[in-house]
Amino acid sequence: MTYKALSEAVIKGDVNQAKAETQKAADGGADPQHVLDDCLIAAMDVVGEKFAQGAMFVPQMLRSAKTMQACVAVLKPHFRGGGMTTKGKVILGTVKGDLHDIGKNLVAMMLEGAGFQIVDLGVDVAPEAFVKAVHEENGQVVGMSALLSTTMPAMAETVKALENAGKRKELKIMIGGAPVTAEYADRIGADSYAPDAGTAVTEAKKLLNAQ
Amino acid sequence: MHHQPILTHQPRLKVLNRQQVLAIHTAALEILEKTGVKMEHEGARQMLVDAGARLFDGDWVRVPAYLAEQALQTAPRRIMLYDQNGAKAMDLRDDHFYFGTGSDTTFTLDLESGARRQCVLGDTGRFARLVDGLANIDFAMSMSNPQDIPKVEFIYVYTFAEMLKNTNKPIVFIADRKADMALVHELACLVTGGEENLRQRPFLLNYSEAISPLRFPSHVVDRLIFCAEKQIPICLPSGTNAGGGAPITLAGAMALGIAENLVGLIIHQLTRPGAPFLFGPNVSALDMKSTVVSYGCPEWSLTQAALADMRDELYGLPIWSFGGASDSKTVDAQAGAEAMFSITTAMLSRCNLIHDVGYLEYGNTSSLEMVTIANELIAMARHFTNGIPVNDDTLALDALDRVKAAGTKGIFLTDDHTFDHFESSLFLPHLIDRSRFDTWQAEGGKDLYRRSNDRARQILAEHQLHPEMDETLAKEIDQRLQALS
Repeated sequence: MTYKALSEAVIKGDVNQAKAETQKAADGGADPQHVLDDCLIAAMDVVGEKFAQGAMFVPQMLRSAKTMQACVAVLKPHFRGGGMTTKGKVILGTVKGDLHDIGKNLVAMMLEGAGFQIVDLGVDVAPEAFVKAVHEENGQVVGMSALLSTTMPAMAETVKALENAGKRKELKIMIGGAPVTAEYADRIGADSYAPDAGTAVTEAKKLLNAQ
Repeated sequence: MHHQPILTHQPRLKVLNRQQVLAIHTAALEILEKTGVKMEHEGARQMLVDAGARLFDGDWVRVPAYLAEQALQTAPRRIMLYDQNGAKAMDLRDDHFYFGTGSDTTFTLDLESGARRQCVLGDTGRFARLVDGLANIDFAMSMSNPQDIPKVEFIYVYTFAEMLKNTNKPIVFIADRKADMALVHELACLVTGGEENLRQRPFLLNYSEAISPLRFPSHVVDRLIFCAEKQIPICLPSGTNAGGGAPITLAGAMALGIAENLVGLIIHQLTRPGAPFLFGPNVSALDMKSTVVSYGCPEWSLTQAALADMRDELYGLPIWSFGGASDSKTVDAQAGAEAMFSITTAMLSRCNLIHDVGYLEYGNTSSLEMVTIANELIAMARHFTNGIPVNDDTLALDALDRVKAAGTKGIFLTDDHTFDHFESSLFLPHLIDRSRFDTWQAEGGKDLYRRSNDRARQILAEHQLHPEMDETLAKEIDQRLQALS
């Protein structure tokens, strides 16, 4: 099944319509993983393409992401056994000393919309707190942001802390923020640099070889 | 018969009526009283509570409106900034306007290769020296976030010292926390020969930021209180950008930004009544495709013109604003158009301290060429803003009689009236090209970018400070930098 009405509602950002369509599909016995992968995430891929073409603006894309998340909430009780399969788990936070989180929050929403599971540690996250979260949450990607040049060194410290904790090899690390550059990512041994939220999604997919 | 001279109207821009002004101000006060702010600085929180604010939800405070009105009464309506030789340089008040560069760009356009590369400390020096050599640029900011600082936690001390060595004009500086701000203050005292001299003739102003919406981190308020105590002029805009830290509608974004600014002002004036505070939030807009904070958008120009109206109607305090910047990645037509737009509107609305001149790429790249071009654009806008003096001399009926009497050979170009008045009557460009095609081609057919590059190189090669920094002082500053740990 293709669930055209649901796809369209997600693309349009019509939350009520999309939730109703999701409920209808679930009640009709649809496989929730199928609805998630082939309808909701597929719709968000269309949104991503439209945005890349300049045919959609950020608030419209975020509304679609919000709509998609509302649909996932409707689907959740219908997953049995192994539960929901996502594209991967991403642990996010602004680094120690940095309190600016608009960019990080955008990245979280966009990644969620693209089918990733997010663990948002918030702002001013110490290296040890990243390490702890990696231990507890079993995430595959750590995303860090910094707005200030004075807080950028905390990114390197966090990478070190993850190395010392023996977690570095099983992780992908992605960084971003105004003063951050691709060269800096290289220098501190991060795997990837994303200049904006859209790129964070493509980079996360690349890092995990996800579609 | 003796006539009163005719006053010259100097064109002004007005974007708000009184009703709009009052409605935005009222909304800002409502934010203080009902919504409250998250005050993470314990001392400031207590100060507000002692003055009548109410604590809730941990570190949130609701602030009564009368505290804002009181602070507006005690804050000075004029801030005089001096140059480093102790001469009056920027009389920030009413309709006076001054232009200067911006702060922390990650990249700069290399003067030799034209390539966008990461900033080094030498760039801060080059920008400051260029500023010193340009007549229409009144103050310096670092224009770079240098990558080659030995101890990054003191980055703002290094950039401040570098500016001291390369300009005598007033400096607008950034600091990260109280410790590096105190070091900047020490260096400034060395220049003036003591703290009291600096207090009497301040040549520096601090730019700090709270975080919209409604958040006052402790280290930011530390800086605010330090400046109040030392009477270092300060401004404290929060990143009240429409669609990001603030509502997408400009009225709401302004109300929020003003509310946040008023909280800063209240703490500042409670700390030391009469300490100098430059008013004004930065209300730009997030681009709805890239989410960058735009430096070329009409919205920012509009909100600061509106703020100037609010100053005139209500606040009376000198204001902080921006101009001469662009979102373009290169020095191109977009850069020129955006820079000219914000320069003209900032000047016509009489913003007082106008920074970010020479920014490209939404403030991520600085350009010596852009500063050089903006210097000329400011002169052009100033000529327009000076208006049209009307008197017997400028009406020039005598000159008309002479030219008429000369018959068919009569032309004003040869008349003495033209000789006497052309320099004051016309804008005479240096960088803007009006030469005939053949001349332009013979001189290399250079566009504005190339010509401004030539000019910037020339200034950097030839310009001397009056005077250059005393060697003993330079040594002392270097020793202080080496001692940082």
